Amino acid sequence: MNDVVCLRNVTKSFHQRLVVDDVSFSLKAGEVVAILGPNGAGKTTTISMILGLIKPTDGEVLLFNRQPHEKQVRERIGTMLQEVSVIPGLKVREILELIRSYYAQPLSTDELINLTGLTDQDLKTRAEKLSGGQKRRLSFALALAGNPELIIFDEPTVGMDITSRNRFWETVRMLAAQGKSIIFSTHYLQEADDAAGRILLFNGGKIVADGTPEQIKARISKQTVSFSIDPDVSLEKLYLHDEIKDIYRKNNRVYVQSDHTDRILEFIFQEKIGARDILVERGKLDDAFQQLTSSNKEAI
Amino acid sequence: MRAFQMQCRAEIIRVTRNRYFVFWSLLMPILFYYIFTNVVNTHAPDQAAWQAHYLMSMTAFSVMGSSIMTLGIRLVQERTQGWSAFIRITPLSDRIYFAAQMAGQSFIHLLSITIIFIAGALINGVSLTALEWLLSGLWILIGSFPFLALGTLIGLMKKVETAAGVSNVLYMVLAVAGGMWMPLEVMPKTMQTIGKWMPSYNFGNGAWEIVRGGTPNWNNILILIAYSALFMLLSKYIRRKQEAV
Repeated sequence: MNDVVCLRNVTKSFHQRLVVDDVSFSLKAGEVVAILGPNGAGKTTTISMILGLIKPTDGEVLLFNRQPHEKQVRERIGTMLQEVSVIPGLKVREILELIRSYYAQPLSTDELINLTGLTDQDLKTRAEKLSGGQKRRLSFALALAGNPELIIFDEPTVGMDITSRNRFWETVRMLAAQGKSIIFSTHYLQEADDAAGRILLFNGGKIVADGTPEQIKARISKQTVSFSIDPDVSLEKLYLHDEIKDIYRKNNRVYVQSDHTDRILEFIFQEKIGARDILVERGKLDDAFQQLTSSNKEAI
Repeated sequence: MRAFQMQCRAEIIRVTRNRYFVFWSLLMPILFYYIFTNVVNTHAPDQAAWQAHYLMSMTAFSVMGSSIMTLGIRLVQERTQGWSAFIRITPLSDRIYFAAQMAGQSFIHLLSITIIFIAGALINGVSLTALEWLLSGLWILIGSFPFLALGTLIGLMKKVETAAGVSNVLYMVLAVAGGMWMPLEVMPKTMQTIGKWMPSYNFGNGAWEIVRGGTPNWNNILILIAYSALFMLLSKYIRRKQEAV
């Protein structure tokens, strides 16, 4: 029972509309988990329940084996919400000092500056005059202010340019290496793949897959063997193998789809059909993910 | 404790940096005070008494304004901009947060009272006994409570624009109907009757009585307490309804 986060049969509905549907998962210390899914999959609602900002309709959320709103939990978590939160009328440095004062063992202001890339200019600027990118940096610093054990980010890179995005993930990896537990939500497969050790794939309020990025990718992307062949050669022999899911011709090439591409190569050589330029490919992940997203929309 | 001090400090810094506050709560009342005691001839029989009376009106007007507008609009801003949500996941307890807001607000009121009193003494040489200065200041500080409650009520509104609009109108109506701009005695009879039931009149009247050498009436105190209770109950009821969703 050393779970950092534990959700048991958590359900949330707003006005009879089911947004999160019977979600259960737990997180061990030091794990970096991505909650991945299209818009409307229930990611933000799930995160809000983990943070104790909204109550589940049914089920239980525990952080460090306690209720999310308890002070002992608050001391150990840090967060960056999707909606960039700033307090007008204060300069960045004043806000940092203020939030640090809430925690028993905060990180020093210098450490926060180093981690998040806030500049001297940023520190002197009033919150309401910050640009989108500066606000994100400030939010990131505020998330880390209390030196949290568990860090929760809701769509952290929305509105960041490439440089800040790279810097952000670099810092996240460093925090993970220090043994922090991290949960973040995203609708970019690439981000989940790069930064997380485990992906919870959400769709329609449910967890549809839970595994390492490799496992998830294998599930949602199709593998193909493609080759060139004389147009008059019959492919009938290949159809006899039930490992093959689909065969089609495109741009003078034959594409064979299967979960076991090694076996397909064997068949091709066994049947001596004269295949040339053989390529083994994994379908574009983003395409597959997009497909999953759009089919979900149709279902609704 | 450190969090409480830091929070108070932050609230005070924020208010003093707020241009609307400086304009509406400090410059406007002082300007009005100057105009209605020096430029416009009000034909008051006792000039000194009028100058003291109107100083109290303007101070009460200022403090009432920052209670309703500054506090109310700020609360809406904090909620719509996600700051309240962020504070809720930090270890800062709701009680300390609320207490710090009230303490910060009271400090600001004290500052406004001091500045406007000094302005009155400088502009017209208003001279009261030390006890009268102290009591009238204290009355305005403590008597602002129902307006702080009204501010938190406005703070429950969904949009900053609505909150700003509504609080502006309320502020002006309360000020005029309560006899803060011109004494109730010069208004029509019906206005006088209505005015006597306004929280603003009862708030102002306590201070007017003090500078006249008297003490606030019991019904002033009772009416202000009743309004506080009403506003607090209302905001509790609305908050519960909002949370039920």
